[in-house]
Amino acid sequence: MDKLLAPDPGLMFWTLVTFGILVLLLKRFAWGPLLSAISERERRLKADVDAARAARDEAQRIKDELSAQFAAIESRRQEVLARAARDGEEVLGQFKIEAEKQSRDLRDKTLAELGREKERLVRELRREVADLSVQAAEKLLRRSVDPAVEKQILDEFLKDLERRGSG
Amino acid sequence: MNFEEILGHHLLDHRYFSLFSVGGFTLAVSKHSVTLWAVSAILVLVLSLAARARSGGGLMLRTGVEVMALFVRDKIVAPVFGHDADAFLPYFLTLFFFILGCNLWGMLPGAAAVTGNIWVTAALAACTFLLINLAGVRKHGIFSHLANFVPGGLPKVLVPLIFVIEILGLCAKCVALCIRLFANIFSGHIVSLAFLCMIFVFAQFGKGLALFGVAPFAVGLALFVGALDLLVALIQAYIFTLLTAVFVGMAVHTH
Repeated sequence: MDKLLAPDPGLMFWTLVTFGILVLLLKRFAWGPLLSAISERERRLKADVDAARAARDEAQRIKDELSAQFAAIESRRQEVLARAARDGEEVLGQFKIEAEKQSRDLRDKTLAELGREKERLVRELRREVADLSVQAAEKLLRRSVDPAVEKQILDEFLKDLERRGSG
Repeated sequence: MNFEEILGHHLLDHRYFSLFSVGGFTLAVSKHSVTLWAVSAILVLVLSLAARARSGGGLMLRTGVEVMALFVRDKIVAPVFGHDADAFLPYFLTLFFFILGCNLWGMLPGAAAVTGNIWVTAALAACTFLLINLAGVRKHGIFSHLANFVPGGLPKVLVPLIFVIEILGLCAKCVALCIRLFANIFSGHIVSLAFLCMIFVFAQFGKGLALFGVAPFAVGLALFVGALDLLVALIQAYIFTLLTAVFVGMAVHTH
């Protein structure tokens, strides 16, 4: 075991030379291709991750935009509904006023027509009565009737006529 | 049975033949140098295939390599170097996989644990020392790099002393790196071998005792230590890489 720590510069030399050549060979044949492949893969992964992140951001932006549009549409819908309800109530009120006005006009017109019809009937009645009176007078004139009776008949007739006219 | 011989056989380096020798420097092909080349060749082959795999088992291998490479990048190198991480990443990935490969290779039966050799770990620590200074000089220039060893606001009289202390501190950090890796791997193998040798020690008192009394416990304990060694192999690769990154990072980012 005395040889354990005995200097061996020859082995040191071989180690230095072997290790130096190994560094060069592995750099040329192993680490170069391996590290460039790893770098390429990492670059591709990074590009994919960046693309995925960009796509996610774009999707988020579209989602936000759609949410904003939905919110605007909802707000507009509420506004339109409120306006429609307001317009409906307004139209209903106008219809009501119009209907009341029409019914009032119809009633007034009907009453006026009734009044006119009444007057016309009264006039016709008076004319009829006058005609009957004339006919009665003619009958009285043709028959010789007791003047007292004639007078009584005429009085009763006129009274009756007045009663009717006042009624 | 000679326990020292067993340990020496399993843990120490053995020269196959010498290429040349000048003074005290002998360049030889040894068990550990061949192991270094074998591990390096396997790493180049496996990692190159993994880097190019597109389907099947290769893809599984690639996934496993990627997990570890991303761990080194995201947990060790990137936090220390920030935007400069890409420039240092191949070195630290190689360091991590080289230490891990050597540690795991050493756990194979009959294979040499090169990270249990202090001169191998010393060479790796020397690489760290070189990288600390090269990275510092490249980032700040040689004078600023040397000036960065001394904290600001010191009296001028103390500057030479502190400079020497800081240089020694840097060397101590590298030596600690070297010893930490060596000691962890070496001790793990010693403990495993010690438990297995208990069988042969007790065999001298009776083969039945060794076979039925000691062997189950010894093998069980050796397996337990082997499992711990697997953990240690991963942890030490991580620690050596992390500390190297921290030391180099301190030289590059002085604030």
